Amino acid sequence: MDRTKKILLMSYENGLRAILEFLEFIGGSFNLLYASIIAAFRRPFYFRLLIEQCYILGVKSSSIVFITALSTGMVMSLQFGFGLERFGGKLYVPKVVGLSIMRELGPVLSCLMIAARVGSGIAAELGSMNVTQQIDAIRALGTDPIKRLVIPRVLALLIMTPLLTVFADLVGVFGGMFISNAELFIHPDFYYHEAILSLKTSDFLVGILKTSFFGLLIALTGCYYGMRTEGGTQGVGQATTRSVVTSSLLIVVTDFVLTKLFWIFERK
Amino acid sequence: MKETPDKKPLIELRGIHKRFGTKVVHRGIDLDVYPGEVLALMGGSGCGKSVLLRMIVGLEKPDQGTIKYNGLNIEKLSEERLVPIRKKIAYVFQYGALFDSFSIEENLAYPLREHTDLSEEEIHQKVLATLERLGLQGTENLYPSDLSGGMQRRVGVARSIIMNPEVILYDEPTTGLDPFNTQQILKIMLQLKQQGATSILVTHDMAAIFSVTDRVAFLKEGQILALGTREEIKNSQVKEVSSFIHGESY
Repeated sequence: MDRTKKILLMSYENGLRAILEFLEFIGGSFNLLYASIIAAFRRPFYFRLLIEQCYILGVKSSSIVFITALSTGMVMSLQFGFGLERFGGKLYVPKVVGLSIMRELGPVLSCLMIAARVGSGIAAELGSMNVTQQIDAIRALGTDPIKRLVIPRVLALLIMTPLLTVFADLVGVFGGMFISNAELFIHPDFYYHEAILSLKTSDFLVGILKTSFFGLLIALTGCYYGMRTEGGTQGVGQATTRSVVTSSLLIVVTDFVLTKLFWIFERK
Repeated sequence: MKETPDKKPLIELRGIHKRFGTKVVHRGIDLDVYPGEVLALMGGSGCGKSVLLRMIVGLEKPDQGTIKYNGLNIEKLSEERLVPIRKKIAYVFQYGALFDSFSIEENLAYPLREHTDLSEEEIHQKVLATLERLGLQGTENLYPSDLSGGMQRRVGVARSIIMNPEVILYDEPTTGLDPFNTQQILKIMLQLKQQGATSILVTHDMAAIFSVTDRVAFLKEGQILALGTREEIKNSQVKEVSSFIHGESY
């Protein structure tokens, strides 16, 4: 009986701690976003740092986005091809694949991969800077760490995630086209016509708009955990893990919310 | 003990209280720092010397009390309004806190690029001159990880003094250094003192305390237990102070 009580008490404490940490994260992230918005309009502007971050966070992520999108497009074609063939619906494969990639899988899977690569990188870099007092040094030297470290990363991801998603959409559709031709014997012209030309502009835009939001979530989460890292190398490891887990979960959850909102908006 | 030289203080701390969670660090500290002097903050580990130093440059805020720099209250200033103060008060971090993704030249050029209109050539020349002053010539293209710990500390000092600050705050600048690097840092501290810079030094290094400082403040349990000239502190009859100086437990 005592043991059961103990376990229940521990579960209650852990649950409460998790809720408090999450609320602290929400408050801290909003504070960081607010401070970033205010600081973004004050001089000096670090354009060179922004370009550098666009390259590091965006361009350097293109290979993992490419592989993810290509595999997704190919798998989707195979699965839907074999599944729909049973009901004589093989010719719907291009439409289904195109629509799924543009509206959902391109944006979400790309951003999950970016969260894993970039979110962890931001948290680890800023975390290491924090525990080695480099962020204090930035402040002591009369500069603002939010301007130098947070804003270039947030802006870079706001710019680069939609671009990477466009890239992922194209690669994913191409992967689907390749497998449809090789395995399902669907002609590329037909595939192109069905997958691209039958899509509406809103199908494409919904995916792109979502990724800007995901980019903001990844950057803010990485910066938040990085800049409050404590406790040396162990702290850096924890910040990195938390950043990836939190941003991935936020992407999945907000994807549902945003999809529902866009759905309501499109129906009107 | 005699405390005040006949000058107006440059830095005034009054009734400073600070706690982190349940740990009380400062319990009402009053301290004046006069222009051109070198003041050492001495005391056991965890007595709040570094926190006090961080407060002077605005890296920590006191829970209670006031901090004045040149008559201006700075304890409640925003980060933006602290910038002009931070241009005048340099902070030398314990392990240098160099930007590890920057070369040594970029580290030293950082404050110049941020706060001056100097051309790149002028910045380059100033960086080389400062490195030479610290005996670090030839390191400008290296990265912090290429340097020994002692050299990194000297680069940290070089980066802090490159803007010719009025006040330099040293957080344990010689701890763990070999005699050569310790001497190099003490030498530059003496040079800066001769040029009229005001310095506050947090250290456990008795040789440093008694070779470069004018006055010493001894902190214990969040308060200043003793304050006086280095001779007064050296000959102090306060048990804790004399035990600390002579390396005995207190």
